[in-house]
Amino acid sequence: MIRNAMAAAGLLVAVASPAAAGDTSKGVILALSCAACHGPDGASPGSIPAIDRLKPSEIEAALKAFRADTRPATVMGRIAKGYSDAEIGLLSGQFGRGR
Amino acid sequence: MAGSLSRRDLGRVGAAIAASAALGPVRANAARKVDVVVIGGGFGGATAARYLKQFAPGLSVVLVEQNRVFHTCPFSNLVLGGLRRLADIAYTYDRLSDRFGVEVVHQRAVALNAANRTVRLADGSDIGFEKAVLSPGVDMRWDALPGYDEAASEEMPHAWKAGPQTALLRRQLEAMADGETVVIAPPANPFRCPPGPYERASLIAHWLKQHRPKSKVLILDAKDGFSKQALFMQAWTRLYPGIVEHVPARDDGRIVNVSASERWVETAFGTRHSGGVINVIPPQWAGAIARDAGLANADGWCPVDPTTFASDLAPDIHVIGDAAIAGQMPKSGFSANSQGKVAAANIVRALAGEAPISGSFANTCYSLVAPDYGISVAKVYRSTPGGIIGIDGSGGLSPMDAGPEVRAHEAAFAEGWYASITGDMFG
Ligand SMILES: Cc1cc2nc3c(=O)[nH]c(=O)nc-3n(C[C@H](O)[C@H](O)[C@H](O)COP(=O)(O)OP(=O)(O)OC[C@H]3O[C@@H](n4cnc5c(N)ncnc54)[C@H](O)[C@@H]3O)c2cc1C
Repeated sequence: MIRNAMAAAGLLVAVASPAAAGDTSKGVILALSCAACHGPDGASPGSIPAIDRLKPSEIEAALKAFRADTRPATVMGRIAKGYSDAEIGLLSGQFGRGR
Repeated sequence: MAGSLSRRDLGRVGAAIAASAALGPVRANAARKVDVVVIGGGFGGATAARYLKQFAPGLSVVLVEQNRVFHTCPFSNLVLGGLRRLADIAYTYDRLSDRFGVEVVHQRAVALNAANRTVRLADGSDIGFEKAVLSPGVDMRWDALPGYDEAASEEMPHAWKAGPQTALLRRQLEAMADGETVVIAPPANPFRCPPGPYERASLIAHWLKQHRPKSKVLILDAKDGFSKQALFMQAWTRLYPGIVEHVPARDDGRIVNVSASERWVETAFGTRHSGGVINVIPPQWAGAIARDAGLANADGWCPVDPTTFASDLAPDIHVIGDAAIAGQMPKSGFSANSQGKVAAANIVRALAGEAPISGSFANTCYSLVAPDYGISVAKVYRSTPGGIIGIDGSGGLSPMDAGPEVRAHEAAFAEGWYASITGDMFG
């Protein structure tokens, strides 16, 4: 849904100017890192859990639990420690829109 | 795999190109100008092209890639270990063009003119651009190790670019007699994929154990230590005792001289090692197109802005991936993918007159030691005015002494990562 939202925004502005930006806000940029493992837009094609159907609140809670080592993980504990509360809030907000 | 061409097809395509070049004057192409040219359709470039179009579908984006089929270096060690075929790690660019509207031009870029903002292709045509993304990966340095030049790499493959070199090394392994040694000689830092040589040693050992039980792997290292060393060593003791031997530089592991015809490598203190198969991984530097355009420093790597990846030497050209000096980030496919997105976002913003935005970058490098034994190193990185740095407290290694379930879990995630990132790159 990141893609759909951005594609829609992009198409609208594209009429005005080809160079006009779609959404490249901080939250979008932060959330793009998730795709390398969790798949484009969080829709994982393989063995890594998909995150595209989780609500922002679920992602936020999971990341904070990983960061606090209260939720078992192989790698997410190590990754989540790289993000502040504010960043977790911003990037979680990119998922689960409109579901 | 779609899009592979026979030799005869290639001949026809070549003839068609020659004919059209004869008909259409090259000067007609010279006037062509697009918003963004991406050079190199690998981990950095394919990602950047896709996300440029995803952020701003109205942009004209041309991807210049010399090969029609891209073989991923990630998972090429599985091909060497007999766990995948070369076709399993092959990708074409159809979906980047059909689904995302990237115009893919399969030619080699031969010159990049930063001042005029044009790139010259092998057929002599020029494409002008507002912004360029350069992700050519590495070239082997044929001047760095006496005796090891391009011709020698046909005898002693580096297989550090996936494709024909991977196939050659695999054929050599299959042809090797039981009891012969596989020599792997990794370079000093920095180089593409710091844990790669040790994953390779592991997966070759996995294959030897079943098919050449009297053979072993000898790693002659130009370094004293290496990425995920303790985890690799523990795994070798567990899975491949007596099969993998690592000789660090301080114990005379560094090779300084090579003879491809006599099939030996010689160390700094003059010890000659021969092997049934010799895999020399030579020192590397940024791909030629970046060095020739004057975008590299004296060591052959490209200094860039830590937020936007704009070249320090040509601000409209963004250099990403292995070719770039990205602070503390390792030269990995994951890093290149991460950088491709942040560079794409900043190019879109710059073209729209918006201020740069700093993201953060993630990297997780999985290594497979066996099909069901994975280990990883991870880190989150941030741009600072002084460069890209790892965020304190983030990242780190898989736990030592973990049991088989944890290792199996990470092996499954390595495959999941591969499926996800290739989907992210090629659509
Ligand atoms: C054995 C091995 C295992 C690895 N395993 C992993 C792993 O598990 N995880 C990981 O994250 N990384 C891994 N890597 C590292 C990863 O492959 C590289 O870091 C990554 O490919 C870098 O991306 P790039 O875009 O800089 O270069 P590349 O992916 O190499 O792409 C460069 C592209 O540019 C093209 N090109 C170059 N010059 C020109 C030109 N002048 N004109 C037109 N086209 C050109 C090339 O044909 C190529 O397609 C591994 C590497 C090796 C060797």
